[in-house]
Amino acid sequence: MVFNSFGFLAFIIPVVLLYWIFFRKSSRLQNIMLLLSSIAFYIIGDWRFFVLLAISTLINFYLGISIHNQKNDKKKSLTLRLGVILNIGLLLYFKYFNFFITEFSELLNIAGLQSLDTLNIILPLGISFYTFQLLGYLIDVYNEEVEANHSLLEFSVFVLFFPKILSGPIERATNLLPQLQKVKEFKYEVFVDGLRQILWGLFAKVVIAENCAALVDSVYVDYESQPGSTLLIGAFFYAIQLYADFSGYSNMAIGVAKLFGIHLMRNFSTPFFSVNIADYWRGWHISLTTWMMDYVFTPLSFMLRKYGRQGLIISIVATFILVGFWHGANWTFVVYGLLHGLYFIPLVYSGKMNKSNDELNGLIPSAIGLIKMLGLFLLIVLTDIFFRAPDLSDAFKYFEILFSASLFKRPDIMIGSTTNFTLLFMSIYFAVEWIHKKKSHDFEISKAPLVVRWASYVTIFIAILVFGRSSETFIYFQF
Amino acid sequence: METSLIKEKIKDVLISVLDHNNFEMTDDLTAKDVDGWDSLSHMMIISKIEEMFNIKFKLRDLNKLKNMGSLVQVIQSKL
Repeated sequence: MVFNSFGFLAFIIPVVLLYWIFFRKSSRLQNIMLLLSSIAFYIIGDWRFFVLLAISTLINFYLGISIHNQKNDKKKSLTLRLGVILNIGLLLYFKYFNFFITEFSELLNIAGLQSLDTLNIILPLGISFYTFQLLGYLIDVYNEEVEANHSLLEFSVFVLFFPKILSGPIERATNLLPQLQKVKEFKYEVFVDGLRQILWGLFAKVVIAENCAALVDSVYVDYESQPGSTLLIGAFFYAIQLYADFSGYSNMAIGVAKLFGIHLMRNFSTPFFSVNIADYWRGWHISLTTWMMDYVFTPLSFMLRKYGRQGLIISIVATFILVGFWHGANWTFVVYGLLHGLYFIPLVYSGKMNKSNDELNGLIPSAIGLIKMLGLFLLIVLTDIFFRAPDLSDAFKYFEILFSASLFKRPDIMIGSTTNFTLLFMSIYFAVEWIHKKKSHDFEISKAPLVVRWASYVTIFIAILVFGRSSETFIYFQF
Repeated sequence: METSLIKEKIKDVLISVLDHNNFEMTDDLTAKDVDGWDSLSHMMIISKIEEMFNIKFKLRDLNKLKNMGSLVQVIQSKL
């Protein structure tokens, strides 16, 4: 069930009302309501894998306790390893089995042996997201960053909480569990802020992302017969689509959680307003990037610390290849991750990783800041071609045409009124983001005068009704 | 080893890796307060500190490092 559907509206209204009217007395009651609605939400989405999710939750719950109770260091680490193997194993089976079989079969073919058959495997809803959340939990318990949770009810809500089960944010125990242990009190400002964030996310999804998608699809469907200039425009709109789709989804997820008084972690923080690649990743899919930093990059760079800069570069590139591969079993994602890893190399050598840049501070950016920002954006646009292309050969072909002489031809795209409106709304969207780049989210207008607030709501609402396109899915649901 | 001496040595490491001394060695100093002390230079600093004190950190020690005070404590516990 997608957030931008009437089905979801019919689901969320009674759930919120029941939660605040009949279940507000204790955290236990609130958690019961959250768990029941989350189970219903998941089963409505795809009942086939609910049992898998339930068993996975149960096993990880007991693994956490077992890691916590184990006094013997060796056994503690063994239990953690067991947990890691179990979780990764499930993910590998459901998400990557066919990929490895296909690749392995090709090797067998080359060697003249009979190839293996792939299985008909369906990806369980949200598995990439909840697996990572569970892995993070077990590692945190092992590192004594969090206490093992001893309430199956709380733990189940931690895993299943429906606003984030399908596509994140990939939550951390340190953030979410303490909130589930307390009574959530109804706060008008938080509730309204949640609604605001949902509206903004909905606008991003159905007006920006979906209108861009229509353009992008028309380019990709027969890209071979289009001039390079059209392909560049297609790539540009795809970068915007991907961002609006996933950040829009994330804003809706975070907004829905706020309706229950729960604060999920921020997932996007104006990534396009960055002057270097490190900055960009600090703002893009934050819950995945910080997860990878904590559980992959840090241990890896610690292991390789004797090798100085080379060690760091290897750690970064390996981490980003994994970030890419996390998106799916396709070489395109591996290349996408590899390229992003490689973009870090100049930064490592210049030593400007975390240097706070003030080039984009203030309402008007400095000229040099603007040039860097646009340069980085172009790099992202081009790299996203690997993200969108069905396979590597298509991606390379796309590049070949894009960088041919036809890049300077008149683009073939139909510039109709929809495109003009899409461009207009995109400008408004990014202008609003720019103004709020230091706020807790992109549409935090609680301090704006009443007239401005309501004028914004009404405008966005009308834009959604008139220019919004319906869609039954989000790009990140497939991951 | 005395705390002040440990701090002195850490300071030397920081200067050699980061190439500047624009920071005060207080207990609540964090990486964020020091220009250039980022996720990348962090491991170089850690590695240099190990050399300087002839100690070995564990990955779990790293999670305990919240500020300069805790870094000094972890080092002291290993001497």
